[in-house]
Amino acid sequence: MHMHKFEKAWLTFGIGSLLVFLTVLGVSAFYLGNQPPSCLATIDPEKVDTTAPFNEPGLKKVEGKDWDYELVYVASAFSYSPAEVEVPYGAKVKIIATTKDVVHGFEVAGSNINMMLEPGYISEHITTFDKTGEYLIVCNEYCGVGHHMMSSKIKVVE
Amino acid sequence: MAKTELSRKTKTEIEDSSSLKGTLASVFLLGFFLIITWAGVYSLFISRF
Repeated sequence: MHMHKFEKAWLTFGIGSLLVFLTVLGVSAFYLGNQPPSCLATIDPEKVDTTAPFNEPGLKKVEGKDWDYELVYVASAFSYSPAEVEVPYGAKVKIIATTKDVVHGFEVAGSNINMMLEPGYISEHITTFDKTGEYLIVCNEYCGVGHHMMSSKIKVVE
Repeated sequence: MAKTELSRKTKTEIEDSSSLKGTLASVFLLGFFLIITWAGVYSLFISRF
């Protein structure tokens, strides 16, 4: 089959780019361990308040894990618990969140933390807070009349 | 009377003069645009916590 040399050039370029992008994706998933926020962990949405760790929302120091702190959030119409939290600068934190009623969003504005909280499922995100400042948490899934007032705050302090 | 044209010699013109330069340029322009925007978004993802 005859192929113009330009055609060979752009086919090589296109297939090459595809391979590069897929490699980046593969490394991110299988080597760095990135996974969707809600990954097979479930909970009875009726019993959130009595199920650990959601019976004590907030920041907790943990030992012997890959992360230093666990930050537990319970979302419900139309608030997050806790409403404000202080995280030490440079701490590696696992955020664990769920909802008691309907689907809520969990977006820390200006960061990569952006999860959907679904009733019956636990959403998690591990991150290192390496920038100080105040970060606003907003609900970005329409959840009802008070949706726009649903927010929380993370303060990263030295 | 109709003539049979058994020895008719017609050449099919194969157009080989078409240039693919413009196509090449537009394909690579689009390609580089995609790569630059992808790299931009990826670096934003990497730089934020």
